[in-house]
Order: sequence, then structure tokens, then C-alpha cells
Amino acid sequence: MRLWRVILLVNLALGVGLLFGYLAWGREVARLGQELELARGQQFAAGSQRTWHARGVVRAVLPELKVVVLTHEDLAGYMGSMTMGFRVHDPKLYEGLDIGDTVRFTLTGAPPNVEITALAKEAP
Amino acid sequence: MTAFGIAVRWLHLACGLGLVGLVTVLLLAGRSDRPTALAWEARMLRGARGLTALLLVSGLAALAYQTAVVTGRAGAALDPVAWAQLLARSQFGTVWLVRHGLLLLLAALLLLREREHSPVDRLAFRGQAWLLAAAGAGAMAWAGHAAAVEPRGLAAALLDALHLIAAGAWFGALLPLAALLRVAAAEAGADARPFAVLAVRGFSRVALVLMVLVAVTGTANAWFQVGSIPALVGTRYGWLLLLKVALLIPVLLLARRNRRHLLPRLSGDGATVGRPAMARLGRFVAAEGALALLILLITTALSLSPPAVHDSIRWPFPFRFTWEAATQVPGGPTRALIGAQIAVVGLLAGIVGLLLRPWRVVLFGAGGAALVTGLWVALPPVSVDAYPTTYRRSSVPYHAVSIANGAALYRAHCATCHGPGGRGDGPGGAGLPKPPADLTAPHTADHTAGDMFWWLTHGIPAGGMPPFGAALGEEERWDLINFIRALSSGERARQMTPVVQPNRPWLVAPDFTIAVGPAPPRGLKELRDRWMVHLVFFTLPESRSRLSQLAEAYNTLQATGTEVIAVPLGDPAHIIRRLGGQPPVLFPVITDGAAEIAATYALLSRGLGPREISSRAAPSLHVEFLLDRQGYARARWRPGAPGRGWDEVKALVDQILALDKETPAGPPPDEHVH
Repeated sequence: MRLWRVILLVNLALGVGLLFGYLAWGREVARLGQELELARGQQFAAGSQRTWHARGVVRAVLPELKVVVLTHEDLAGYMGSMTMGFRVHDPKLYEGLDIGDTVRFTLTGAPPNVEITALAKEAP
Repeated sequence: MTAFGIAVRWLHLACGLGLVGLVTVLLLAGRSDRPTALAWEARMLRGARGLTALLLVSGLAALAYQTAVVTGRAGAALDPVAWAQLLARSQFGTVWLVRHGLLLLLAALLLLREREHSPVDRLAFRGQAWLLAAAGAGAMAWAGHAAAVEPRGLAAALLDALHLIAAGAWFGALLPLAALLRVAAAEAGADARPFAVLAVRGFSRVALVLMVLVAVTGTANAWFQVGSIPALVGTRYGWLLLLKVALLIPVLLLARRNRRHLLPRLSGDGATVGRPAMARLGRFVAAEGALALLILLITTALSLSPPAVHDSIRWPFPFRFTWEAATQVPGGPTRALIGAQIAVVGLLAGIVGLLLRPWRVVLFGAGGAALVTGLWVALPPVSVDAYPTTYRRSSVPYHAVSIANGAALYRAHCATCHGPGGRGDGPGGAGLPKPPADLTAPHTADHTAGDMFWWLTHGIPAGGMPPFGAALGEEERWDLINFIRALSSGERARQMTPVVQPNRPWLVAPDFTIAVGPAPPRGLKELRDRWMVHLVFFTLPESRSRLSQLAEAYNTLQATGTEVIAVPLGDPAHIIRRLGGQPPVLFPVITDGAAEIAATYALLSRGLGPREISSRAAPSLHVEFLLDRQGYARARWRPGAPGRGWDEVKALVDQILALDKETPAGPPPDEHVH
């Protein structure tokens, strides 16, 4: 075979190899993306109950809404540390709470439908 | 081990670039059926095969060396498992695999040379060989310093790749050309002389373009890796780069001589033209090639040195030039500008002299005299003393904790002479040869942090200031410098008003830790780029009504992209409880570290009143700052200040909206004082 044809064939093979490599890489990225979406979906799937335990400081108590506003630690897999209002399962839980109290609380539910199911003041 | 690393990398680089140049010459040389030319071509082809083999072997050795460096074990250099891990898990490994794959392909191609039967075969073979050699050389950029440049890594790597390919095509072609000239200049090589003349002329035209490419891409690379004049003259990388440029000068002079004097004499008969000129050109081109190999050795050392932008600068001169120095001397700017104009005229005269041969001596003489005179006039006003640490960067961030530490150290070690407020009026300074410096004066901001570090470490013998290098650790000295910077900035900040000056950020807001109860602490600078910050220093009960107003306006402020952060000035104990829940205060209220933040920002809180001239004036009970998204304090308000106050929330929102409209003019402030 003529030399230029050999070179052309080698370049074609290289090009095809690159194309396949690119496509394989694209598929791999798509697969990883799907896996990530799946994992996220499973994490927040309706009906998949989860529980978080964290500490926080009481910023406000809104009995008319059955809500306590806390500046809280990270809630792993749900949200980072922030100031946030949470519904409280039982109004008795926030009885006796003062603004500025440091508390340990348990958050239960399937995001975004979560509520505080346990709450205890830490000793000052 | 380092000597081995340099040797291996140099060999690899020289072979890689040499191969690009060799194939470039084969591509440019054209075709000849003369026996001498054919013999030279065959020799070059054998050379290309040899270079490729050497390139692959040195590539393996470079892989072994890199494995030993990365793992920290000399034994790993011969461990195939460690090789495999490096190849599979690092960018170096990916680039190595791609490059050596291309080189293997090139090696296979070079074995097909004997089947080159037509011009198309010839072009395909040589063009393909050039592409593979150039790709193999250019890809080295992705395993070097250029690939680590942030944020324009791709641009830096592409420029570096172009630099490598252009340098290879230029430098690598020199020795093959020298070999051609040598055989053609020999008695038996007469048949190849026309071929050699055409080959050298063809290369000479391309070489001009290559030189420009090498210069432009090399300058761009230097900009990425060095970034400043101090880094160029004050680091190992910078010195190596200067040495590389210095070695390039004789190469360029030789190239110029070859092109202007020897190249036109290649044809013809006589004692100085034709064959003798060809022999001489061959020797000169070989000398260029030898210098090029030396330059590649420096390049290898550069690739193994930390880039100057990331290295500690040791300034080698006892002076430096700064425009600020001229502005502080009466008539300084005028003198500097006039001198600069004279120097520019002298420089232009020199350039014109290069172009006008008959006037060269006169223009060079007059231009040189004007240049020297201009510099003699211009430089003194812009010169200031400098020290080895002048351009050293602080190892301690400009943070409230550091500034508060610095303040304590200042009171213990410096206040006796410099005075409690830093004005140079301490009782201990009375008997000193020179009065202690006023640290609040504007010039303090013009000295580099490295200057201050030097004075703190070694003292100022002429002024009677003792050294503190032994008494204070390095971090403590940087704490002191951070405090002095805040003190000096605070003096300038006295004129700050509640109205934002558009597009004029200058007061860097010291960083601090936002710690609220058990929530994980985060830094103020983490809010940069996303949030403007309304920083409120308050005292209870005086600030209660203002905090209630802000609590009610919090949603509005957040909607404008502003986070409110409140810092208690007084007793921080149970501060959230003491704020109460009516109305709910939901913005961050600092519960830990408030004292350091308050002490730091107190330095920036003084106004223009006569009682506030001393930094020991009673601190304010309530003060608010507005910080832009880049981290600069842009406006300040205190209750009772004249004009439209921020107690009218709309007035505050107007200032926020003014900030919001701004387009950031530059990068956010450096976290380290400099």
C-alpha cells in the first residue's frame, strides 16, 4: 500500500478512536450524572423518612404557627447551617423555651415536610 | 536525586524539541536527488529514529523520577505498581500516557520511511511526523507549571505549548542544518551545495516567525509564572529566567550575523563566499545549537523550581522605585516626569540610531547622554529604601484576631515610644536620636508590610529602634503589622460618611469569624461575591430600638442582597436572650469573639470630631458599616451624625442600591496585608 494511504488510514483510525473515546467519556459523565440524580432522588423520595439530630440556638418562638426559629448546625444531606423556622410536632416541646437558649433537637420527616419531634435545652 | 531529575528531564526536553526541529528541517529542505543530500537525509532519518528511542527511554526515566518525588520514596522509582498508580491517578500520568502513545506512533511511522515513493508520500510522511512530534512536545505544557495557572490555565497551557513547539522548530533545526552545511562545505559535498543553500534560506525565513512566536509566548509565560518585577529579581525562578534570557542574547546576535552576513555569501566563488562562508555558517549554526542546549538546561531547572508568583521574594537591592515617594516631596512628581521625558527622548534617539546607519554614532552618543541624564533627574524622587523582606507577603491574614493580638503586643512593646495612640508621642521616645514614627500618618500605608517586618525584626539603628526579631515570633510580628495597618487605615477612615462614594473602594474590612451559638463558625470573607454586609455594632439598652427597626426591615434588606451581622460592643454574655423575641431578631448576632471584632472595628470607627483625634477616645455605643460584595467598607453611620441618617431605613436601602449598581473594578482585597 502507498505510504500516504497508510498514513491516512492511521489518522482515520486515530480520529475514530478519539471519537469513540469522546463518546465513551460522554456516556460515563451522563451515567455519573444519572447516578447522582438517583441518589438525590432516593435521599428525598416521598415517604422516605429521615431523622437528624443537631444543636441550635433559639431565635424566636411563634406559637400561633407552632414554629421555632433556630440558628442550627449543619443537617447532613438536607441543609447547611442557617437560621430557619421548623414546625414543632408537640407544642409542649417549646414550653419554657427562652430566646437565646441552646437546644438539642431531633428533626424527623421527608424533606421538605419535616418537624421537630424532640427538643431539649442544654445546660447554660 | 535532583541532579538525576534535571539530567533526565533535560535529555527528554532536548530530544523532544530536537525531534520537532529535525522534522521541520526535513519538511522545509525540499527534495534533492544528489547523493550527498540523500546521504544527509538518511542520516537525519536515523537521527530521528534515535531521538525517538531516546525520548521514549528518557520518558520512562522521567516517570520513575516523578514517582519517587510524588511518593517520597526513592525505592518507588523502580516499582511498577507505583508507576501504574501515578499514571492512573494524576494529570502528569494522563499527559504522560497521551504523549508516549503519540511518540510510539511516531516511532512506527519513522520505520515506514523506505516506502516514500512520490511527492504525496513524502508530504504525508513528513507532515505526519511533524504533527506527531509537535503534539508530543506541546503536550508537555499540560504536565508543567502552565497547567497549574489559575484561573486561565487553558490559555497558559496553550501558550506554553506554542512556546515549546516554536522553540523546538527553531532550536531543534540548528544542529541538522549545521550538519547539512558541514557536509555540503566539504570537498566531496559539492553536489549538495545548491540544496543546502535553498534549505538554509527556506529555514531562515521561517526562523524569523519562530523567533517572534518564542518571544511573545515566552513573555506571556513569564507573566503567568512571575507576575511582577520584584518576583523576577527576587526569586530563584526569576533569576533562572533572567539567565535564560541572557543566554538567548548571544543566540540572537549569532542568528543576526548569520542572516545578514553569511547567508548572502553562500553562492559564488572566492575566499570569503561560497564554500568558506558555508563552512563558517555551519560552525556558527552549531554554536547556536550548543547555546540552545544550554538554554534547555536552564528551562529544565525552571520546570523544577517553584514559580516566582508562589515563592517568597528576597529583594536584592537597597532601594526600590515607587511613585508614592515622589508625591511626598515638593516638586517630586514634576522632576520625575521631566526626567522620564528626557530618558524617553534618549531611548528614541537610540532606536532611530539603530535604523539610520550614517547617524548611528551621533544618535547613540546623544541618546545615551540623554538617557543617563533623564534617569539621573527622574530616579531620585521615586527612590526609597528597600530591604530583603520588602516584598515578602504576610503569613497571617488581616483578621480581627490577629489585629487584636497585635494591639496587645503594641501596648506591651511599642506604646512606650510610639505613644498609646501610635502618634509617635510616647514618653520613651524623648531621648532617641530620631523621634519615633507617627504610625497613623498617611505614609505608613505607603511602606510595604515587608519593610515593616524588616524594621520590626532588625530594628532601625539610626533612629534608636531596637530589634524585636528575638523577642517576638514571626506570627507576632505580622500581628503587629496587621494592627498598624488597621490603625493607619482608621486614621484615613475618620472622614468616612454614611454616603457611599461611587466606585471608590479603599478601606478593606478586616475579616472576622461569624460565630453564632452552636452553629459552625464561618468567615466574613465567605460572604464575598454573594452578599453585601450591613455590620452593626451595638450596645444594650441604647441600641434596642435601632435593632428592633433592623429586625423588622430584615426581609427588605435580605431582598436587596444584604446580610445583617450584629456585634455586641459591651458584655456579650447571653446577648441573644437579652435581645428578646419582640420583634424576633433573626440576623446573625455574634456570640463568640465579639470583643476582638469590636476592638478591631473601633480603630475604624473614629470620626472627625476634635475629641476623636486620639485612638483612645471613648468608643462609640453604636456604629454601622456598609460593606460591598468585594469586602470593602464603603460607608459608616453613627446615630446623631449630620445629614440623612440610616435610622430612616429608606436612606440605608438607597446606599445599598447604590452599591448594588456598581460593577466591581478589580479583584477582592488580598487577605494578607502587602
